[in-house]
Amino acid sequence: MSVNTFWTIFLILHGLAAVALLGALTHQALAVAMPVRQVAAGGPGFVTRFRAVTGPAYATAVCVLWIITFILGAFIYTKYRIYIRIPIEQAGFWKTQGFFELKEHFASFGLGLLPIYWYFWKNAQNPEYDGARKGATLVLTAMCWFIFIVGHVVNNVRGYGS
Amino acid sequence: MSTTTADRVSKATSQPGLASSVRFRNFALVMAMSFPVLYVICDIFNLPLFTYHPGTNRVDLFWAAARSGEGPAMYWYGWTATCLVASPVLGLIGSLLPESFVQNKLVKILVWALYVIAVPFLVWSLMPFWTK
Repeated sequence: MSVNTFWTIFLILHGLAAVALLGALTHQALAVAMPVRQVAAGGPGFVTRFRAVTGPAYATAVCVLWIITFILGAFIYTKYRIYIRIPIEQAGFWKTQGFFELKEHFASFGLGLLPIYWYFWKNAQNPEYDGARKGATLVLTAMCWFIFIVGHVVNNVRGYGS
Repeated sequence: MSTTTADRVSKATSQPGLASSVRFRNFALVMAMSFPVLYVICDIFNLPLFTYHPGTNRVDLFWAAARSGEGPAMYWYGWTATCLVASPVLGLIGSLLPESFVQNKLVKILVWALYVIAVPFLVWSLMPFWTK
């Protein structure tokens, strides 16, 4: 296996884990931000079905996926620093690199928030935590979307095949 | 055997162990609140637990400058490691806090709001990238 193939496989696995995480968090965020109280006559539509998931069931999966995605990303980052970032800087894409740095900060932030996020969801029957659970979930989701989009853009600047 | 949505909600929300532990809740609350504060401090004052040099695969304890001819130095791993060590330590201290700790409405807001408040500081720390 060539060196390029090796790192490409890890980049693809990182991306796939990120897609799963993004999907799970987005389902959960919509469920907590716009909970389905009553299904309209004629049956639920796509958006209603999307919101009508069992939020607590996603909590452990989100934590595991965040950690897996983080570890895969941290592994790839060693090669990124030399083979991707230096050419990006030489090409003058400073803002792209700035957003990438911010993405890395957010990825670390998620690790700090995961334990209490998990606790809040595992106690979803307790209304005392409703506001905090909603806040923690929406912050994690916003960070996840930002990380995903920036990662996608950076990959377009200098990713597969470059 | 089929399970209903209500069964799944009940199963997912009534876990024994950590999920019902007040000490774990206080640990996780204090860890979550201290993490972004520590991270911003580590980022701005450059306090990594270690420095990684990807060009030579070398690791130095705490902050170390990039060496000439050996490529760049990476601090992000070290900042994250600092926070992953320090915030659980603070969380352990926090686990000794009384039950009334979580009754404070401000705690339940700060636990997620501190992550939003930290963003302008992180953006500011990246100023060289925005102004080149």
